[in-house]
Amino acid sequence: MPPHVHVHPDGTSLRDPSRLFYQSDSIRRLIIASYWLFIIAAIPLWWHITSIERLSLPTARVHAQAANHLRFPVQIQLENVQDSSISTSLQKLLDDRIHKSHGLDVQVRQQSDPTNPSDSYVIRAAEGVPSANERSLTYPVRPATLPNLADLLTLLLAPPIDAHRVAQYSPRYRLAFTLLNEDAAAGGAISGWDISGAISRHLSPILTALSVLHNFTIESQVQFHAPLAFSPTPIQDGSYGLTQEDLTVFVNSAEWSLSSSVSNDPVLHFIVFVPSASRRPLKILDSNGLPSTSNAFLLPQWGGMVIYNPPTQDTNSNTNANAPLPPSALHSLFSTFATQLLSLLGVPNLPGDLQTTTDALTGWQLDALLRRRTSENARGAYDTLQSIVKLVDQIENMPVGQDVRGDVLDSLSALEEMYTPSPSSPSSTPPSLTTTLHHSSTALTLASRAFFSPKMLALLYFPAEHKYAVYSPLFASATIPLAAAAIREVVAWRKGRREREGAGGGQ
Amino acid sequence: MFSRLLLLFLFSWIWGTLAATPSHEQIVGDFFNKNGASGGSTSNHTNNWAVLVCSSRYWFNYRHMANALGMYRTVKRLGIPDSNIILMLADDAACNARNRFPGSVYANPGRGLDLYGDNIEVDYRGYEVTVENFIRVLTGRMEPSVPRSKRLLSDASSNIFVYMTGHGGNEFLKFQDNEEISAFDIADAFEQMWQKKRYNEIFFMIDTCQANTMYSKFYSPNILATGSSKLDQNSYSYENDNDLGISVIDRFTHYVLEFMERINKTSHESMADLFAYYDPVKIHSDPGVRSDLFRRPLSEVRITDFLGGVAQVEVGEGVPVDSSAVAAAQEEDEWPLQGESPAVPPVLPVAEDTRERVGDLGGGWRGMRAWGGVLLIGGLVGWVGFRS
Repeated sequence: MPPHVHVHPDGTSLRDPSRLFYQSDSIRRLIIASYWLFIIAAIPLWWHITSIERLSLPTARVHAQAANHLRFPVQIQLENVQDSSISTSLQKLLDDRIHKSHGLDVQVRQQSDPTNPSDSYVIRAAEGVPSANERSLTYPVRPATLPNLADLLTLLLAPPIDAHRVAQYSPRYRLAFTLLNEDAAAGGAISGWDISGAISRHLSPILTALSVLHNFTIESQVQFHAPLAFSPTPIQDGSYGLTQEDLTVFVNSAEWSLSSSVSNDPVLHFIVFVPSASRRPLKILDSNGLPSTSNAFLLPQWGGMVIYNPPTQDTNSNTNANAPLPPSALHSLFSTFATQLLSLLGVPNLPGDLQTTTDALTGWQLDALLRRRTSENARGAYDTLQSIVKLVDQIENMPVGQDVRGDVLDSLSALEEMYTPSPSSPSSTPPSLTTTLHHSSTALTLASRAFFSPKMLALLYFPAEHKYAVYSPLFASATIPLAAAAIREVVAWRKGRREREGAGGGQ
Repeated sequence: MFSRLLLLFLFSWIWGTLAATPSHEQIVGDFFNKNGASGGSTSNHTNNWAVLVCSSRYWFNYRHMANALGMYRTVKRLGIPDSNIILMLADDAACNARNRFPGSVYANPGRGLDLYGDNIEVDYRGYEVTVENFIRVLTGRMEPSVPRSKRLLSDASSNIFVYMTGHGGNEFLKFQDNEEISAFDIADAFEQMWQKKRYNEIFFMIDTCQANTMYSKFYSPNILATGSSKLDQNSYSYENDNDLGISVIDRFTHYVLEFMERINKTSHESMADLFAYYDPVKIHSDPGVRSDLFRRPLSEVRITDFLGGVAQVEVGEGVPVDSSAVAAAQEEDEWPLQGESPAVPPVLPVAEDTRERVGDLGGGWRGMRAWGGVLLIGGLVGWVGFRS
């Protein structure tokens, strides 16, 4: 009989308990070890799926952009000027006035100089009233008038800006034209207008000239009931007046639906307001309470409004007739709108008494606007990149995905392309303003897209106690028995080994 | 020595006098702004936004819905259009099966004014009111498919009014019984907004239990915050309506709305007036104000800078007009007042919040508690393991 089989007095065979299958030490230890192996193998997987993807961002390149400043080369040619010392004195006067913060490098040359680039500005010396057309200026150039000429050029090249009024740069704009009748039910309302004709006559030249900067979408509507939220004050001669305070609450946005909310592009509103027949004419009062001559006002960064009082009809005709907007009124209204649009988009005015024959914008104004928008965009792109880097640094829970990194890299390369053009373009001709603007706009758009990437949502803040409170019921209830069993097995194994050695050694 | 002091005094007096003399442009400007109020606000915002969040659901949280809707109505009445208001509500009170007055939400016992009406626009309703959506609204990080009405399209010259109400605790706010948002998350969201120049100034108001702890973690500039109760203090509801069977508004919001009923679009009341109106005895808790991150003095900040849509205007040839007012506008509905409250003169805010300073000692105590837990578990393991 095998030694581990005992024979019971009854005759049934029993086996030694220490050799029975379910008491086998090695199998028990193998089972416990397999649990632990599984846990240890799963730890890298758990670490991987609970860690946040944070790719590295090119921080050094972003910080290096701080040293770059945009400088625009400006070439001025003097035509019909025989005296060569005039150009040097004009250069000196301009250097005194245009300082570094404008970012302009002005050079004055004679016209006969053969190395003049094609897009330089031309000053024609001629007597008479100064006038500006496209990129040329006609001015009586004499040594005595040089300081005035220098002042004029400073105003043309680096005009002062009103940052509060001008809408922020966006590559796409919606222009919403609205004809609002306060109360068409009272009669005498304006039933419609020739909007497309008016836009093509008055606004298309401007929009075409500005198309290098913005992409415009135009929508228009006519509304027949647009109540005011207050009552205008009646004044002596039977008309009604709007005080300055009334103007601030004039736009009753709660009840007027002014633009469609189809896209996320910024909207500039242009509104013609026709007061109801019982409250005509409606005039704007100045700060002394007297009716002012202007019937238009501008809301900064939002749009402009014009109040149109239809001419009073004589008693013979039907006073309830609704007529479309007469063309003469349309002409004056849209001229006002054109001025308002120009100031909202940041186009600088021609200084003082300078005359012009150009339709929409002279090259001086457009170039000044392009330069300003370019430097704003470059600064904005740099600020956004800086903020991305700083935020990712500051908030440890913020993930940085592949698309964010890609956009940051592309934006950086657009910025670098703008400051130092690639070797493929010839180095003698500096890149045009349009290309530079395009680069800066791309840089800004990509940086904004990286900042607003929907995946860059920081995980919520969990203090250490929350983590313990979440993990301990899950893991502790499973691992405590396992750990206890493992320790017990290790201790038993060591004790058994010592006994075996003692027994074996003591033999 | 004495002569030197005298000379110094003389110089500083001369300097002070010269500096105080207004320049020529200032005199002209003051002349044109003559009809502006003395000490008119010098805020340079051009548009207003409001984010109103009610973070609880179910019938018994009717009062939180009424809080948010009351604020919504006030903000709309004072001129902010629907396109600039983000309203997040669970919106399950008006058409609830237990509502005896279906389709209506009232905010005062006696049911004077229906807030739900037929002209409200709820942007995030029901299960869309989550912490993630709230943070996405604030930071602007949305999928491209999210419509315009659900986006906060603010810019560097926007003033934003953020109002939150619900159940809260020490530095957290419960969202729909499901999840919670902590004060750190809101502070980080505001910081991200600041970095991307998405606001000019923020006015943060919160009405929950222990509300003042929620604004204790802000660290971005130009934020003015107010809350309804201190740490370890509850905020209470105002009164029950016997027909509806539940409380219809919270005390803090009720008194704030009562103050707002005196305001119309052209009012000059300032934030200091609002904060002076707080009465801890009536509100049954200590409301707090945090203004250390805010640059302008509170007596010069108008209520309509944040809650109104008042614009700045340039007439004709570009003469700038200040957003100031004299004439009062007609209002359609009157908030049912409990009694006439006299006009309060501008006074500096009363209850300055003593912010809980979680310094090193506080952080150390928390760490010690955490390690204590670890040691306890380790001790348990050891005891179980070495039991014979």
